[in-house]
Amino acid sequence: MSTRARRLLSGALLLALAMPAAAHADDQALQLKVEDLTRKVNKIEEKSLGRWLEIGGDYRFRYDYLRGETAPFVDANGTFTNAGNKLQAAFFADPTGPVQNGAATGMNAAMLSGLMTFANTMKGTTTYSGAKNFLGAASTQQMLGGLNNYAVMVPAYKPKNDSLYTNRFGLDLHAKATENVTVNVRLVAYKTFGAQDDSAVTNGGGTPFFADRVGVFDGTLGHVPSNSLLDVDRAYATWSNIADQPLWISVGRRPSTNGAPSNLRLNNERPGNGGTPALLVDYAFDGMTVGYAPDIEALPGAYAKVCYGRGFESGFDKPAGNNITDTDMLGIAVIPIDTDPLRVWLQWNRGMNIFDFPVMSNTAFGNTAPSVDLGSIDWYGAGFMSTLKNIGPGSLNFFADGGMSVTHPNDHVSGQAGFEGLMTGEFFQPEAPTDKTGWAAYAGARYDYTPTRTKLGVEYNHGSKNWITFAPAADDIWTSKLGTRGDVYEAYLIQELNLKPISSRLSKAFFRLGYQYYNFDYTGSNDWVGAPVKIADINPSSPTGHGMQMLTPLKNAQDLYFTFEVKF
Amino acid sequence: MKNHFATFLFCAALLLSALAFAPAVHAEDVKMVGTISRLTLAADGKSATAVLKDSKSGEDVTITVTDDLTLDKFKDKRIVEGDEIRCKYDKEPGKNSAKIFKKTAGC
Repeated sequence: MSTRARRLLSGALLLALAMPAAAHADDQALQLKVEDLTRKVNKIEEKSLGRWLEIGGDYRFRYDYLRGETAPFVDANGTFTNAGNKLQAAFFADPTGPVQNGAATGMNAAMLSGLMTFANTMKGTTTYSGAKNFLGAASTQQMLGGLNNYAVMVPAYKPKNDSLYTNRFGLDLHAKATENVTVNVRLVAYKTFGAQDDSAVTNGGGTPFFADRVGVFDGTLGHVPSNSLLDVDRAYATWSNIADQPLWISVGRRPSTNGAPSNLRLNNERPGNGGTPALLVDYAFDGMTVGYAPDIEALPGAYAKVCYGRGFESGFDKPAGNNITDTDMLGIAVIPIDTDPLRVWLQWNRGMNIFDFPVMSNTAFGNTAPSVDLGSIDWYGAGFMSTLKNIGPGSLNFFADGGMSVTHPNDHVSGQAGFEGLMTGEFFQPEAPTDKTGWAAYAGARYDYTPTRTKLGVEYNHGSKNWITFAPAADDIWTSKLGTRGDVYEAYLIQELNLKPISSRLSKAFFRLGYQYYNFDYTGSNDWVGAPVKIADINPSSPTGHGMQMLTPLKNAQDLYFTFEVKF
Repeated sequence: MKNHFATFLFCAALLLSALAFAPAVHAEDVKMVGTISRLTLAADGKSATAVLKDSKSGEDVTITVTDDLTLDKFKDKRIVEGDEIRCKYDKEPGKNSAKIFKKTAGC
């Protein structure tokens, strides 16, 4: 081989050896770049909001067409106001009069002073025995006789509102703070068109119809139309997977509203581990929960929890006088199975130191506050709901629920409610404390017609004479329908729009058209102060006609409603 | 009231007893908590595979789900990628079959 050929061969060999080394170097650089990019993407992902924060919410426009029919009654609060106004007018017109036989009698001043003393003594009387003594006194009997002259008789009438429009906006946040710890928040503003107060649903200017619609208070804030302020409806922190077990604790302003099965008519998702049966509790509670969801294959979704809530905080003890106690609620929920075809719930609650009036401002009774605790109430409930798929061209949802309430009044009566106690007594007619048992039943069904996204539902509930629930925050305008002592029928149609979700997997827009008919058998639906009176027995013309009432007794009520709702 | 409460307690005790005597966890059963990093539904809709990132070890575990109730939750997006899952599965050769597959409890 010539020298030239040898050199050529050596060069080619060297080149051939160098080429893989260069390619290998390129691969390594590429690999580093990929690793670098992966690290950067991971870093961005770790910092991204979507990794730890979910934002959602809803907007609702609602129209209500309201009709009702009242029973005639004597307005207790109106009677006092009338007497006060007239006696004041007489006093200012003639402070020393009237003149009899040429001499000033001073009766106007004495009568006004007597009424004020009477009212103050009445409000300060907080026991059954004290009320009996007070009412038995000769001066009280004289005053009661005098009050009759100022009685405000309210004849039967038909309250109506042809158009009540409301706006409701809710903002939901779900934050994964750390491993196993989350925070959930729901902010809500719920207002009437053309108003910044609750008067449209509290019979503003007149005597309210129901205790849960006298005014907005802590347990109903954001659930009864009031104003455009964004209130904290829910804010709670949950620590789950405690000790690697399906155990959790949660504390804060709780998801104790809109529980099952109300999710059907509201077109909400199932409440999951949250919430309480709507028949027993629909109240925005501040409280806490300990829950356990054992892994039992035969009982999918089973869980149990103990819940506690504070309904009223009384503050510091006073050195003397009547001490108001905190109002608390304790509950145990056992859900032995929670699947689509079957969800079963068993519930027990006890409400302790039940107040007479919640803290409310600018109501028909002025600014109210608890003046006495009336005793305790036990609630028992059991129910189920089911979703059966592929029933015809859609799905069938149905449920049944039963509840029982047992009151345990103490010796206290509410002076500001005419000596009525816990489901005992009438205005100025106190009754010795005795336990009262009531019951309620609730059933309904909804068919989801899949091809057109149309949902058609019907519901019925009945409450007995002594039925009392704790559901003032229910999404009903007249009053919480599940607290009705009588019957309520409801039918509704939901039409979802066939639009692709964008903001979240739960986003949707729909219309809802519904009708409610309430038939009240007894007074005091959703009111635990005072004994129920059969509506048909109210006769203000008769001394034994149960005529004096604090709230306007309704015989029946109707609500035709329409909503446009967007969930995002 | 005492009678009602006693009845309620009895029912609760009965239920808890039932839970206590429920079949013990099988020796090959594995329990884990993890986040779904990938969820694939079979074309026929009768099974799905979920890749869970174990919250303790950080390892990926592929789980096969065949029960209709859970598959329904996949189909209507009640369980999606990113959800934290509590899972019990049977460890078989080449396959982990879910026996319990649910979102971690808490509210």
